[in-house]
Amino acid sequence: MAFIKLKDVCFGFGPISNRYEVFENANLSVEENEFVAIIGFSGAGKSTLISLLAGLQKPDTGMVMMDGRPIEEPGPDKGIMFQNYSLLPWLSVAGNIELAVKQVFTEMQPNERRDYVQNYIDLVSLTGSEYKKPHELSGGMRQRLSLARTLAMKPEVLLLDEPLSALDALTRAVLQDEIIRIWEEDRRTVVMITNDVDEAVLMADRIVPLTPGPAASFGKSFPVTLERPRNRATLNFNPEFKKLRNEVTRYMLQINDEAKALSPAEDLSLPNLEPRMPGELPVKSPV
Amino acid sequence: MDSGGLSFSNLTTKFETTMLRPTPEKTKTPSVPFKYRLVKAIDVAGLNFLTPVVRLCFGEEPRKQLKDIGLYIVIPILAMIFGVCGWFVVSEMVVTKSGKLPNPSETLAAAGSIWDFHVRENDKLSAFELTGAQRDARMAAVESRLKELEPLEEEINKEVTEEGKRAEERTQQRTAALEKKYDEVKKELDSAAEEREKALKAKSESIDKSDVDAKKAYIADVRKHRKALDVAKERLRDLKGRIKTLKDLKDDKLAAVLRKQTQIAEERQYLGKMKDQLTKTNRDLKVAGAKKKLDADLAAFYDAEPSKMYLAASKFVKGESRIEKLKSSEYAKPSTLPFQIKRSLLCVFVGFFIGTAIAIPLGIMCGLSKTVMAAMTPIVALFKPVSPIVWLPVCLIICSAMIPDPDKHFFTQWMWNLPILGKYQINPAFLASACTVALCSLWATMTNTALGVASVDEDHINVARVLRLGFWDRLFKIVLPSALPLVFAGLRISLGVGWMVLIAAELLSSSEGIGKYVWDQFNNGGSRSFANMVVVVFVVGIIGLILDRMMVVFQRLVSFDESPTAV
Amino acid sequence: MSIALRNVLSVALLIATSLCLSNVVQAQDKQLLDLEKDSLKFGFIKLTDCAPIVIAKEKGFFESEGLQVDVIAQPNWKTLLDNVITGELDGAHMLSGQPIAATIGFGTKAHVITAFTMDLNGNGITVSNAIWEAMQENDPALQSETPPHPITAASLKPIVQEKLDGGEKLQMGMVFPVSTHNYELRYWLAASDIHPGMYTKSDIGGRTDAQVELSVTPPPMMPATLEAGNIQGYCVGEPWNQAAVAKGIGVPVTTNFDIWKNNPEKVFGVTKSWSDENPNTHLAVIKALILAGKWLDETDEAGNLTNREEAARILSRSDYVGADFDVIKNSMTGFFYFQKSDKRAMPDFNVFFKHNCTYPWYSDGVWFLTQMRRWGQITEPKPASWYDEMAKEVYKPEIYLKAARMLVEEGLLAEGDIPWETDGYKAPTSDFIDGLTYDGKKPLEYLKAHEIGNKE
Repeated sequence: MAFIKLKDVCFGFGPISNRYEVFENANLSVEENEFVAIIGFSGAGKSTLISLLAGLQKPDTGMVMMDGRPIEEPGPDKGIMFQNYSLLPWLSVAGNIELAVKQVFTEMQPNERRDYVQNYIDLVSLTGSEYKKPHELSGGMRQRLSLARTLAMKPEVLLLDEPLSALDALTRAVLQDEIIRIWEEDRRTVVMITNDVDEAVLMADRIVPLTPGPAASFGKSFPVTLERPRNRATLNFNPEFKKLRNEVTRYMLQINDEAKALSPAEDLSLPNLEPRMPGELPVKSPV
Repeated sequence: MDSGGLSFSNLTTKFETTMLRPTPEKTKTPSVPFKYRLVKAIDVAGLNFLTPVVRLCFGEEPRKQLKDIGLYIVIPILAMIFGVCGWFVVSEMVVTKSGKLPNPSETLAAAGSIWDFHVRENDKLSAFELTGAQRDARMAAVESRLKELEPLEEEINKEVTEEGKRAEERTQQRTAALEKKYDEVKKELDSAAEEREKALKAKSESIDKSDVDAKKAYIADVRKHRKALDVAKERLRDLKGRIKTLKDLKDDKLAAVLRKQTQIAEERQYLGKMKDQLTKTNRDLKVAGAKKKLDADLAAFYDAEPSKMYLAASKFVKGESRIEKLKSSEYAKPSTLPFQIKRSLLCVFVGFFIGTAIAIPLGIMCGLSKTVMAAMTPIVALFKPVSPIVWLPVCLIICSAMIPDPDKHFFTQWMWNLPILGKYQINPAFLASACTVALCSLWATMTNTALGVASVDEDHINVARVLRLGFWDRLFKIVLPSALPLVFAGLRISLGVGWMVLIAAELLSSSEGIGKYVWDQFNNGGSRSFANMVVVVFVVGIIGLILDRMMVVFQRLVSFDESPTAV
Repeated sequence: MSIALRNVLSVALLIATSLCLSNVVQAQDKQLLDLEKDSLKFGFIKLTDCAPIVIAKEKGFFESEGLQVDVIAQPNWKTLLDNVITGELDGAHMLSGQPIAATIGFGTKAHVITAFTMDLNGNGITVSNAIWEAMQENDPALQSETPPHPITAASLKPIVQEKLDGGEKLQMGMVFPVSTHNYELRYWLAASDIHPGMYTKSDIGGRTDAQVELSVTPPPMMPATLEAGNIQGYCVGEPWNQAAVAKGIGVPVTTNFDIWKNNPEKVFGVTKSWSDENPNTHLAVIKALILAGKWLDETDEAGNLTNREEAARILSRSDYVGADFDVIKNSMTGFFYFQKSDKRAMPDFNVFFKHNCTYPWYSDGVWFLTQMRRWGQITEPKPASWYDEMAKEVYKPEIYLKAARMLVEEGLLAEGDIPWETDGYKAPTSDFIDGLTYDGKKPLEYLKAHEIGNKE
């Protein structure tokens, strides 16, 4: 049975008169220990999906379930890593992690906790920056911190909301490897949102495209069968990788075109007028 | 100006992003060089004008630093020098009947005499408490100084008399020409008037009794004559006014001598009182005298007949209690400006804390709950613009009603017996001033707190939800820290407002403090009062500046986003 | 009471020279009272007639009674009285009218008493330069550097009339509704047939039917208010008349010595409850004040006041009166500048001890009561006995005499300095500017004698 399941989920914003439907009858299931990448265009409702999965928002109709139970509220079991880090700027690196640890593992002794926190700091290679404040860190370091905080809660599922989209390409590559490295340690269930096909192919077990909004749903999924560990340097020459990448890209472009064709024409027809100076006589255009 | 903090974080960013090797992404642990720590400390302290000096000392971009020094240090100093020069010039021009605007040197002298007064009063206090050999030494010093002063005083008195005479002569010399002119003009005008009058009288006889036209013309002549008289009077008055102005002119030489005389006389006054304090009013001596008396009483009691024993015994017992009283007696020192400054500071902080204690919880409630915000908005809007002048009498009535008899009320008694606060004599007027400060200053903190609490980042709230933080944890771990920079910005405004309001409040409630000092000086109306008030202008300004800087430092310490604080 | 702890004062003096406590000569008997309270706070207004309190502190009279006294300037008479009533102050330099008004309930109601009259005379009426010039034009006798005194308000009358014709009223300042200044200014104006206005139940500003409107200004503010043109004249104590001369903004036309020779001016007031709770302290205070008054009025063989210059020096300190020494010195040493060119000797301008000044006379209280009735501050007619009763409620010569007796026993005061046998009423006097006779025992007759004001 699927570990995470979206069943006929509908979700929309705004008043009835001006409603924007984000999802309509969206269905998704993620197996335990599976790394799923959700890929979609911007505005397709990717962040909303994460909110629904995390329990920060509830669907209008349908069900979001985890481990067979509907998700009622957010909690540390659903570790979310926000797009813009959501670090508490007044707390240090260690402090940010400690806040989460304290809240989740209430019975941990102080020195035990310190070691635990340090463990995660080391894990994301932030050793030496324990007492820095977030504003003293670079974007990549912040995202590492965010990751460490999420991991430290020992969530049953990791929800990554475009974790690397705000970073430059080099840092991004470094972090991709890092996330995979960490993930492979215990292979927890991961749902990662991304807009980068390469990233999805590189990291995920399965890629699920999100059809463009409004009223998005999930398209056909692409299993990624590439052997792990996947080497970034050699992958580019791997024919399977290339094929899959092309397939996904083509599919994405195709559903985008379909969506455009389906959406009502929004061109305004303008009256055929010619500019004329005041008092000027109409001149016949030379045909 | 706040390049320190920024350049620091920029540096690490650069350091990190240029690294190609993915791991380890570390900064060296003890990496921050002394220079950056210093620059950062200066930035946090809000003394950014020192930054270029520090950088220059480290040899960093000397040209740029010199330019910055020119901009942030030299130009302000030049402006100040220019201001002082302008003040000298303006003070010579602003002369009213109530006095002259004191120039910087007079102001400095006034500050000196305020300080002298303070030191002398402290001397009197210590003289009151001195004992044994120390007292003898002090007494000898006082006596010898008094001896020194005697001839000086005689001399200066003589000088004053002579200078007074000379000044009078000088005034006469100054006015002599004008007075002579006045006499001449008066004579001339008088004789002209007399002639005209005579002519008119003569003319009247030549007019025919029935000639109406001639009579009308005669009236016109008389009118003309009267007009000429008025003109003459006006001219004389003008001359007299000029003479008066010349006479009223301050004689600098005489003033200098008088100032010196005052100085000597004041010192003699002080020494005389010191002598008293060291002898007849000295506490130790009084106690010794009383003890002696007590011994006599005891002897008298032992000798007493049974019938008088009761009286003698009670006399002895009373004597004992009197000694206790004497031992704990203190010199009633008048308030000096340094004391008043301290009391004002205490008052402003008491008011500020009362205000903060009200404003922050209310602000949090407003920020958290739209209902409370809706309920509070009209109240805030209504009370915010109310002037301290209105709050003060209300507070005064309430505070006086709550503490009807400060001498016996448990609260004031308790306050007066506290070790450090006791000497500030917290009374209803003090509390009323503090409450006025609170009422006028709490609004800025309150609105800022409400804004800060209401505008916590959505992501931070989500973090709290994911972590399932309870209400209090959410408040203290997420909402408050996030609102803190705005709260402190509000506190900074509040303290500034409070300091301004306090001076007015003290002035009206005559609560001992800077405000009362200003009012007393204004009431004194002496030649030095004006200069004393200008001194207070600077004292108030400098203290206000320090308070503001202090709040800036706090604000910097709690602001996590490194955004520069408005200067 | 009367525990004869001897000679602390002389002991101290001896120590000063020999620092030897044995063989003390018992020079005088200093009776130190059993004080209920030994650290006190007294309020004063910045006027030279606060001198007895300041001198008692600075010259150690309070201290030799075992008192430590804080002397604190008050911003105005209202605050001063309020502070005494609330207990913020133990006692204060008060207008004679204040204890009476407080006791009968005009203004703030509280039972305030006095056992000590601080001084006689000491006020002046100053007009602006413009008014003075106009007065000179109306009365050629005034066109001199030294015009003949007393100057009445007769030459002011045409100016008042002219203003009234122009739809304006002359504005003058006084310091408090129940101050001597108010009554003196009114007396001076009414004596020349100028109506200063009546107090009524609805008009507590006292401007009903006024030809000249009087308003309240705190004494130290007077010169500034005159200069600003808000008022054209004022009646106030020293040094604020001399200050007007020194600054050249006004001319004192008369003093209250001319309006009523040796009139009572300030008293030392405390609340009745304070006095009841601290009877010995009150006595000690009165003793110190009597000695201070005596010190202030000490003269040499030639009759010159010997201590006044020193007193002026002390008063000019900025925490006391704070005006310039030269300004304070004038009136304190017995001179008064009417103009810069017109300096006159006025040895009795300030009296602190002579003429039995310090005794709290019932007749003084009755005079103030008659003025309160005359101008409508007391709204209903009262029987003559009421005046006597009220005066006895406020004036407490028994305390005064007790204190004086102790001083005589200690050898600090001569037997003849104090009117031991009086019934508290001064002999009838006609030393007024309008020549009317005042007999404290016949208040109703005195009221009837006036042209303007309530007659019963």
